Amino acid sequence: MPGALPYAKTTLDNGLDVIVHEEHACPIVAVNLWYHVGSKNERPGRTGFAHLFEHLMFEGSEHHDAGYFRPLEEAGGTLNGSTNADRTNYWATVPREAVERALWLESDRMGYLLPALSAEKLATQRDVVLNERRQNYENRPYGLAPMILAAAHFPLPHPYHWPTIGVPADLHAVGLEDVREFFAAYYHPGNASLAIAGDIDTDEALALAGRHFGEISTGPPPPPVAIPAGPSGGCDSRPRSLCLEDRVELVRIYLTWRTTALFEAGDAELDVLADLLAGGLSSRLHRALVHDRRLAVDVGAWQDSREIAGVFAISATVAPGARPADVEAVVTDELARLADEGPDPDELARVVRCSESAMASLLQRVGGFGGRSDQLNRYNVFAGTPGYLAGDLARYRRVDRSGVRAAAARLAAERRIALSVVPLGANDAALPGAEPADAS
Amino acid sequence: MNAADRSALPGLGAPRPFEFPPIATDTLPNGIRLWTIDRPRSELVTVLLLLRHGSAADPPGRAGLAALTGDLLDEGSRERDGIELHRALQRMGGACATDVTSDGTFVSVTALARFARQAVAHLIEVAARPRFDPDDVERVRGLRLSRLAQMERIAGSVADRAWLAGLYGSHPYAHSPIGSAPSLEAAGAADVAAFHERRFGAGGWTVIVVATDAARLRPVVSEQLAALPGGGGAPAPPPPDPAPAARRLLLVPRPGAVQSEIRLGHLGAARTSPDHHALVALNMVLGGQFVSRVNLNLRERKGYTYGARTVLDLRRGRGPFVLRAAVETSATADAVREAAAEIAAILGDRPVSDAELDGARAALTRGFARRFETAGQLAGAAMRLALFDLPADDYTNFVPRVAALDARAVAGAAARLLHPERLVAVVVGDPDKLPSSLADAGFGEPVGP
Repeated sequence: MPGALPYAKTTLDNGLDVIVHEEHACPIVAVNLWYHVGSKNERPGRTGFAHLFEHLMFEGSEHHDAGYFRPLEEAGGTLNGSTNADRTNYWATVPREAVERALWLESDRMGYLLPALSAEKLATQRDVVLNERRQNYENRPYGLAPMILAAAHFPLPHPYHWPTIGVPADLHAVGLEDVREFFAAYYHPGNASLAIAGDIDTDEALALAGRHFGEISTGPPPPPVAIPAGPSGGCDSRPRSLCLEDRVELVRIYLTWRTTALFEAGDAELDVLADLLAGGLSSRLHRALVHDRRLAVDVGAWQDSREIAGVFAISATVAPGARPADVEAVVTDELARLADEGPDPDELARVVRCSESAMASLLQRVGGFGGRSDQLNRYNVFAGTPGYLAGDLARYRRVDRSGVRAAAARLAAERRIALSVVPLGANDAALPGAEPADAS
Repeated sequence: MNAADRSALPGLGAPRPFEFPPIATDTLPNGIRLWTIDRPRSELVTVLLLLRHGSAADPPGRAGLAALTGDLLDEGSRERDGIELHRALQRMGGACATDVTSDGTFVSVTALARFARQAVAHLIEVAARPRFDPDDVERVRGLRLSRLAQMERIAGSVADRAWLAGLYGSHPYAHSPIGSAPSLEAAGAADVAAFHERRFGAGGWTVIVVATDAARLRPVVSEQLAALPGGGGAPAPPPPDPAPAARRLLLVPRPGAVQSEIRLGHLGAARTSPDHHALVALNMVLGGQFVSRVNLNLRERKGYTYGARTVLDLRRGRGPFVLRAAVETSATADAVREAAAEIAAILGDRPVSDAELDGARAALTRGFARRFETAGQLAGAAMRLALFDLPADDYTNFVPRVAALDARAVAGAAARLLHPERLVAVVVGDPDKLPSSLADAGFGEPVGP
């Protein structure tokens, strides 16, 4: 079973955490750097900025004022980055002989980004990001649904209110001064975690990290994120039902609840509940909605737990000719049944075993999104230690029937926000009582 | 401790040697080819079945039948229904996936390593003894028809399908594996059963196992597979050579779209082309990676798009060569013109430079090892050897052959591959907002799909 992800960790004098994991099966090394900053550190009026900033990190730094892709792709490497509400990560997976180059570049943009910054780079990357938004959200069926749900669950001033991709007007408003301030506040060793994993000796990796990052001075602790009090942010607790018209073929409904944060008590139970409901052919909702009654063409369920709060969601795309309200009724019944009876022991054991193999599957790779180096940083940043893998897996093995019952019962008691995404002009196809959603 | 020297990027030094792991091959008395690969410290076992037929083998009027058949394999076997099959998979921490491409059908089971035997048994059960209950066929066909209808709303899917049809006409590569609504509606349980009978005989199976200590597993897996009756399962014949299409621009209206999906290309090459290594290097320079010409121009210089790439889809027959990008509506005509110009330039006044060729060679040779890290990557690599009848040393030869490429070889391959006069372009976008200059993009007046 997975559970062994041995590592060495040290913290440099400037505050940078350095984590090394050796795996010599393939002659490649992953360099993975997390900055503990995401869209929740933005302010209204400048949304989308953390992600736009991520794009600028690939455009050059003082000692390599050119694109970051060429020197690593031409070294046989692959690289990318991503931004979410809570963190920004950068990774490169390179052949063994290019690890020094990867660390040199990664450290140069941590220490010396601003001298290479220009208004032209900012303008081009703003256009690229606006196209990313069009491609992945605006021009994609159901693409705006996640934004609408986040906005509804997290009313302002909650920092999960706005989408990480940002509001176009805010992206247009960004200036070079914003870039400089953001860099000074968040992009320094004290707010970062570096993981090096793969075909490299621990001592050599630690020495290389020290040589490249040790000279960078640390910055002030980032300003705290203001989190509105109370599980619902002190807002209205009545259920809501929203409707969005979109260029879609079939109606899709989302039933969602605000839930626990990542690694909090109850988080693993909600993950397990999601798999019991919609994890594959034998899951309860797939069986009921897609297989037996054929009211839906697909179902999904997930616990999207983030650093300071989570959302549990069930989605179903309604079959042609079926009624969304009938789909909703099946979901409500199934949740009530789980709250009442809990899962069968065998059913629960099967789902937990699949969570084990899903982690093993991710950990086949040393790099990339979700690979070993990314997990080490995820645990280091969000759980306080890179060594949380065993603890993480134990959370799932500890889930019992009563825990699942409690998770299902909790949903029944919490405020639910429903969203119906319907074809243009088909408002009447939404769940009863839905009000138009604001998709700005 | 010395600080880093920031006066220059660190060099790379000599590449570390990497050998593709050995594939132990065997042919069982019933004709099944069993290939095993050892992967150290693997928590999972991956078992992959390759059948050498895909959507190009769909019978006339039944486009989508190969994919429908593949989709139905895990919906019930002679012994159990689909729900029970899935429960059995979950008990081994497993997942079963079927993928159908133009030339191949791939059924894989991945499970926790201690369940290797059960994973192989599961694969045999779904692939050799599917149930094809008429009610399941009806349901799954309905789901695929819904999927097709939904794909009509996804701009990228519309563009892909319109472009393939525009390029290949009536060739077996003209349709994507999901087929079309009329052909799926015509496909019933009898068609599925007959297709399975004809194409899934164990005599045509190649089974690839990637696991830790694979040698120890071999006799067990051999015994399981040897129990199947032999014969049948002959590979589909390779598709005929497609006829070249005429240069034109197809416009597919998508009212309200905030971007245009662009496809631009023509026939490419077969995987077995003697130009293979030169073509792969050429594509790296033109559009195969972030720093390729097409992406640097359309994204990094112009900001028209989130990304632009060219794809050389290497198949048994001549697969497509296509440039793909989603661009801001107002930039549509400029993007089409720039994209076509990049293809013409690499043939004409801006051939691949020595520096570009150095970069592409290094990317391919130094980047070779990381393509074979996971069990799935290893199984996929072995599968391609079998699907395309490649020599066993194909991966061993890759690095030296690429390293030996020179500018002449790449220019020759470019001249044989690229034909700007035959480019077929597709634009899926808002007809009311598209710039009128689309007619000036060099393709004449746009035509309907």
